[in-house]
Amino acid sequence: MPGALARLRGLVPIGVVVLVALALTFVLTERYHHRVLTLVLIWATMGLAWNIISGYAGQISFGHQAFFGVGAYVTVLLVVGVRLTPWLGLVAGAVAAVVAAVLIGFPTFRLAGIYFALATLAYPLILRIFMDFLGYQEVAIPMVRDQPALYMQFTDPRAYDLLALAALAGTLLLSHWIETSRLGYALRALKENEQAAEASGVDTFRSKMVAYMLSAAPAAVIGAIYAHAILYVVTPDAVFGLLVIVQTLVVCLVGGAGSKWGPLLGAAIMVPMSETLDATIGDRLPGIQGVVYGAALVLVMLFAPEGLYWWVRGLLPARRTVPTPAGVAVAAGPAGTATAALELATDVAGRAPLARGAALIDVRSVSKAFVGVHALEDVSFAVQAGEILGVIGPNGAGKTTLFNVLNGFLAPDQGEVRYRDERITGLRPNAICRRGVGRTFQVVRSFPHLTVLENVMVGAFVREAATDRARQRARAALAAVGLDARAEVVPGSLTTFDLRLMEVARCLATAPELILLDEPLAGLSRDGVEAMMALVRRVRDAGVTVVIIEHTMYAVVQLVDRLVVLDHGRRIGEGVPGEVVRDPAVIEAYLGKRWLRHVENLKA
Amino acid sequence: MALGELVQYVVTGLLVGGVYALMSIGLALIFGVMRVVNFAQGDFMMLGMYLTYFLAVGYGVDPLLGALVAIPPFFVLGLVVHRVLLVRVTGGGDPQRLMDAQLILTLGLSLIITNATTMILTPMPRGIRAAYATQAFAVGPVLLNQARSYAFLMALLLAGAVYAFLTRTDLGKALRAAADEPEAAGYQGIDVRAMHGLAFGVGIALVAAAGGLLATYHPIEPTVAVNFIVLMFVAVVLGGLGSIPGAFAGGLLIGLVQSLTLLVLPFQLQNVGVFIAFLLVLYFRPQGLFGQRLRAV
Amino acid sequence: MLKISRLSVAYGGLQALAGVSLDVVEGEFVTIVGPNGAGKTTLLKAVAGSVPAAAGRIEYRGRDIRTLPSHARARLGIAHVPEGRKVFPSLTVLENLEMGSYRPVARRRRAEGLDTVLGLFPVLDERRQQLAASLSGGEQQMLALGRGLMAQPELLLLDEPSQGLGPRIVEGIFEAIATIRKSRRITILLVEQRVVEALELCDRGYVLETGRVVLEGDRDTLLADPRVQHAYLGT
Repeated sequence: MPGALARLRGLVPIGVVVLVALALTFVLTERYHHRVLTLVLIWATMGLAWNIISGYAGQISFGHQAFFGVGAYVTVLLVVGVRLTPWLGLVAGAVAAVVAAVLIGFPTFRLAGIYFALATLAYPLILRIFMDFLGYQEVAIPMVRDQPALYMQFTDPRAYDLLALAALAGTLLLSHWIETSRLGYALRALKENEQAAEASGVDTFRSKMVAYMLSAAPAAVIGAIYAHAILYVVTPDAVFGLLVIVQTLVVCLVGGAGSKWGPLLGAAIMVPMSETLDATIGDRLPGIQGVVYGAALVLVMLFAPEGLYWWVRGLLPARRTVPTPAGVAVAAGPAGTATAALELATDVAGRAPLARGAALIDVRSVSKAFVGVHALEDVSFAVQAGEILGVIGPNGAGKTTLFNVLNGFLAPDQGEVRYRDERITGLRPNAICRRGVGRTFQVVRSFPHLTVLENVMVGAFVREAATDRARQRARAALAAVGLDARAEVVPGSLTTFDLRLMEVARCLATAPELILLDEPLAGLSRDGVEAMMALVRRVRDAGVTVVIIEHTMYAVVQLVDRLVVLDHGRRIGEGVPGEVVRDPAVIEAYLGKRWLRHVENLKA
Repeated sequence: MALGELVQYVVTGLLVGGVYALMSIGLALIFGVMRVVNFAQGDFMMLGMYLTYFLAVGYGVDPLLGALVAIPPFFVLGLVVHRVLLVRVTGGGDPQRLMDAQLILTLGLSLIITNATTMILTPMPRGIRAAYATQAFAVGPVLLNQARSYAFLMALLLAGAVYAFLTRTDLGKALRAAADEPEAAGYQGIDVRAMHGLAFGVGIALVAAAGGLLATYHPIEPTVAVNFIVLMFVAVVLGGLGSIPGAFAGGLLIGLVQSLTLLVLPFQLQNVGVFIAFLLVLYFRPQGLFGQRLRAV
Repeated sequence: MLKISRLSVAYGGLQALAGVSLDVVEGEFVTIVGPNGAGKTTLLKAVAGSVPAAAGRIEYRGRDIRTLPSHARARLGIAHVPEGRKVFPSLTVLENLEMGSYRPVARRRRAEGLDTVLGLFPVLDERRQQLAASLSGGEQQMLALGRGLMAQPELLLLDEPSQGLGPRIVEGIFEAIATIRKSRRITILLVEQRVVEALELCDRGYVLETGRVVLEGDRDTLLADPRVQHAYLGT
């Protein structure tokens, strides 16, 4: 199968890295060089662990040293306390760290961006103080004379190299697995645009929690190894302290977060540099390491904020970001092929059919107010299955607020929304998406660093668990909108029209029953408007109900079956287009109170 | 426990809190106007401590005066740092990525300052032997350490001066306007980028002055920043990110919390109370006690 | 005084304006009407300097101001009363007005300006020490207008002053604009959605639709042209 082959091919570079590290292990002779190698491997692993939550998921954590320290302390205390071999203690440490991740993550992920980062600062500080207080200022690992290997004590420094390498290899494999799995797509999507990810069916909270747990375990393991290989005496500052997170940050940010190679690159460059500096001039200039790290962070943020790995990649000629296996190329052929693709994309087993004309969405007395502004007041209407319903109204009428309520970004103050006669108000957007409601945005919300195909795959994962099948579904969706030729480019190079098509494709990949389109025609040329309208009709003909907000009136009246008119948050009109645009209340809402009288006077 | 003892803890906490308050105002101003979380704030304070120390030891300048003398040079330093470094990461673009970039940049700056100071001035702690550091005023049963009392008064004075600047001068109001609505501020002829530089300069000058005041009773060493930066963050968040009076109140409150924690926990755990308060505020009221939305005053 | 030639602006990834040309003579009152998405606000923002122009020229008093940042344009005497008012919420009413007269030319005449504005909007005088955030929508609009006047502007840009306001308040705002016009001949460029109210105030007008000028003419010609409705509702 093509997907599995690709995934295996991805393991080759990991194998190369392992071989290089092995070679170094056996080529290097001096004890000191082995120490540097061990440190490189240790910090690369820690960087990879941090990368899972802060690189892939974009949730910058300043507290990852909490897990590092937990791993170190649990393992060492178990040795000291109950003579448990650290080989098992490692596991206990990892489990403890995962539990800590759950305890920390649950409350902290509710916080956005900078508040999250600041909050993560506090945990290692608290742990450090407690360890001090509990009397564990210095926990020395007892030297074991008989069977030292059982207690992770080796005289040959190469053993520690191999130990760290094993941890590194494991974390690389974990990263690789994440990158190519459904979780990886979910994380990258929520990093690039959390709202769009939610609307495309990604359970962002759950994804963050899983990523956090997966990032805690390797950090704990490597913390335990660090304690045994380097420290020998564990102090709170050495494992919970600032220097740990600084090392991690430097390694990842200089190297480049968001990929497995960045932390490796960063560790390979920065650790030997700082160790050499420390060894040569560290006595005369204490603190040189800190200055170098600080300077590295500043320079990277100024000149290559994404890190060296991405900077170098950016310099190389453009190539595919994901080597896609040879899949079935569905050309944007005549309408027949596209229609077939459309049906493939929107096919969902087990969905009970609705009678045409039945109410798919029932909006009941929805009201929503913001500070002093009544965005929506007592709005009620129904969307019938199989129709194209237009929502129009002058600026500030509440149209986008209505959509935000329908798809779960906002909860109404009063009233409810029912979908297939099930109450959906109060559900998270990803849950509503899973039930069959898709959404596009007024300003296209793409995932800029993913290719067009990958963007659409994020939606496809709602219906498929396996990456290959998600890719197939995504290709079908792209074919349905006629964008498959652009599958491998990034959204930044698309025209507005194509961007809109991509968003529709992403929506279709979730196999919706109903799509909310927010101003899909804005800013398009006449041809673009015609093409988009044709697509909307095709989508409806394939069985998807469409609700569309639009301003481009000449197009709207041709496209929709019925119209709902909002003004100042109230529904002021509803009916077929021909009637609605002649409705005096509607005309007044658009052109001002005095327009009609004025026109009357003109005629007189 | 006697009431007198409780009052003693409260008073000590407030005195210490006054200096925390001054430190925090600088951080709040910078965040309010520029949306920058300045990790290096504590390090500029440390530099202020050293400047005051050298003025005291070399020229016999009383540290309370030294704190004032520190203001102009650090203001200029702030302007320079803003122009050279921060301008590049506070322009347009994705706000989330920018937040991350300036957090890391200021963290890097902090590392450089701390470690360069260690390199040049050595880690040896120093102290200013002010006569009044070991004397106290007696108000009834309560003892007020003289150094802390003078520092507290100076902190109040400086905070008051900042407040007057922000509320009574055109420039100060322009700063607040730029914090509220940068686009509209531009329409009034306010150069928002220059306002950023001004805010940063004032923020650095304030925290350096706070360092000078702190030097009257606290040992001076390169790593002193670490102890205070988290306290400053907590104070600013407590008060509502970006609110100046909020940060002032937050600083006082942190001093109180720190002091009162000693009633129930041993000395080593003094800061645990502060960190727990931090987490509680972030979870239950992230906009802080005074914040409704982000603003400078 | 203001001459816009073939202005094109991309905004939020869309082509908001495509080759718009218009001009405003000193002392004139020009109105631009049109439906949502027509690009009216983008046009004003391009003139005020908060949105960059992709192509075309913007000349103020014969000088190309395209490269000037917004605060520099404000200092030249261009006052922009933005869409959604954007008063400074944590400043008092008085402080907001003081900021309106931030530029040196206006600062010298601040007392005179305050007299005028508070006379025009007595409710602002009552609330002078209140925070701007606590004002109602209509009061905020008055404040934004007043703030614009405090700049002693040569060119006043008004962006949809009626937006989000109830009908009676809107009448009051338009009356105030008419009064301003009568008492001093400031050059005014008004962007509005409400056709009759806005056109009645002006000397000349333009109708914008999807980034292009579709109709123009003097006040009476436009008012007599029922085709304006077509631009809004397609019929």
